[in-house]
Amino acid sequence: MTTASFGSHNWGMVVDVDKCIGCQACVIACQAENNIPLNTQDRVERARTISWIRVERYWEGDFPDTKARFIPIMCQHCENAPCEPVCPVFATYHNAEGLNVQVYNRCVGTRYCANGCPYIVRFFNYWEPVWPESLRNHLNPDVTVRSRGIMEKCSFCVHRIRRATRTARSEGREIADGEIQTACTSACPTSALNFGNFNDPNSKVSKMREDQRHYTLLDQFGTDPNVIYLAKVDPDKKVSVGEAASHG
Amino acid sequence: MASEIDKSKPESSSIPKLLVLVLATGGLGVTAVMGVVAAFVITGWIGQPVPVLGFEQTFDQPINFPHTIHASLSPELGRIAADGTNLEGLGLDCTFCHRTVTTQANAGVPAVGFCATCHQVIGAADNPELTILRDAADIVGDNGPEPVNWRRVHRLPDHVRFVHEPHIRYLTQNPDVVNGTTSGVKEGPAGVCSTCHGDVAAMEQVEQVEPLKMGQCVDCHRDNGAPTDCVACHY
Repeated sequence: MTTASFGSHNWGMVVDVDKCIGCQACVIACQAENNIPLNTQDRVERARTISWIRVERYWEGDFPDTKARFIPIMCQHCENAPCEPVCPVFATYHNAEGLNVQVYNRCVGTRYCANGCPYIVRFFNYWEPVWPESLRNHLNPDVTVRSRGIMEKCSFCVHRIRRATRTARSEGREIADGEIQTACTSACPTSALNFGNFNDPNSKVSKMREDQRHYTLLDQFGTDPNVIYLAKVDPDKKVSVGEAASHG
Repeated sequence: MASEIDKSKPESSSIPKLLVLVLATGGLGVTAVMGVVAAFVITGWIGQPVPVLGFEQTFDQPINFPHTIHASLSPELGRIAADGTNLEGLGLDCTFCHRTVTTQANAGVPAVGFCATCHQVIGAADNPELTILRDAADIVGDNGPEPVNWRRVHRLPDHVRFVHEPHIRYLTQNPDVVNGTTSGVKEGPAGVCSTCHGDVAAMEQVEQVEPLKMGQCVDCHRDNGAPTDCVACHY
């Protein structure tokens, strides 16, 4: 009997926008977990920052009844991803576990994928990553440090998936629901971000995405993302589900 | 005027002769160097590069640690003790020292204190290699042990995530796979490990015998039904 066999999962995320308070804990957690170089001022000024997950803020309503709204955006791991067919070296592809994979050692840095992505979640390494001397030993040994000239993006913390799969296999069992937490979901104080297996109908994320508030970002492009959003519900304002689905 | 031309003629013809000689030998030399470089690159591309110019698959370690004495069961080690007796191998299991190999990613190198557990008593007092070890372990002093800076022989690129634990588990459960490999040793404590590391127990100085390139990994993964997905190893 094979347990936790490869390809029996469809990893995905459900983001409850109603719970997001825009604290940016997920952003910090992701930067620390995945050896992302520091977004220093000169990089921000050139709009060449790297952040696998970002919290977008937008305003709703007219002054003085303005409300801040937040939506975390990371790689949507689309089933029908625009970034994949444009890669000339197959450095990005969709694997059997529902992940949109970026293979760093195959990438030659054409940046076609970043141009194809409508979510702007792919980032190019314009420079060799450098960290201050004090952070040298803080790098995560499970994640490759990307060198200059290649693309990178959210990997759904694939190293954590691999580790949990290995542990489950060595113990001869299936991966439990909620056993794998990505860096952002484990850091989220309000459980707005939830990670799990969509193939298991009893998993937390499978039940959450049955919610009638569910929508996907830029639905009109037909990318079929594995990241499902649950719309914000405003108690003061009557917003129908269809209307809420239009932001993004 | 004419005499000047006649004078200069033999000179001008002798200089090109010298040039031709220099160019010919130089060209031959350059061709030979290019041939050596090409041979090195081609062999390095296919398997392991030719062991020249510091590209040997082995290093001199800070302590000349003999795996033969520790891991081999063979009595023919060619090592003679101080009193003239032929030393037999201890036949220690690999996991005796490389303790994390069955549970973690790295096989692990024992701490110097672990070596000193035996070697504060075992081994000649004036053995130069053991003296380095005992000094590093600081058995008699108060400074505490100083780690030995072992040099890594089997090294994979940074973008490869190799984890020993599942490989050791699979090969332990499927001993037939070990027998089918090029360097697999059927018997002895190093049976599983020898699949990739060769017969380390017979090595005076550890050497990389398998190329350990991606082709070798993928071949074995494909033969044994292991995932060949890129993110199985590259992430």
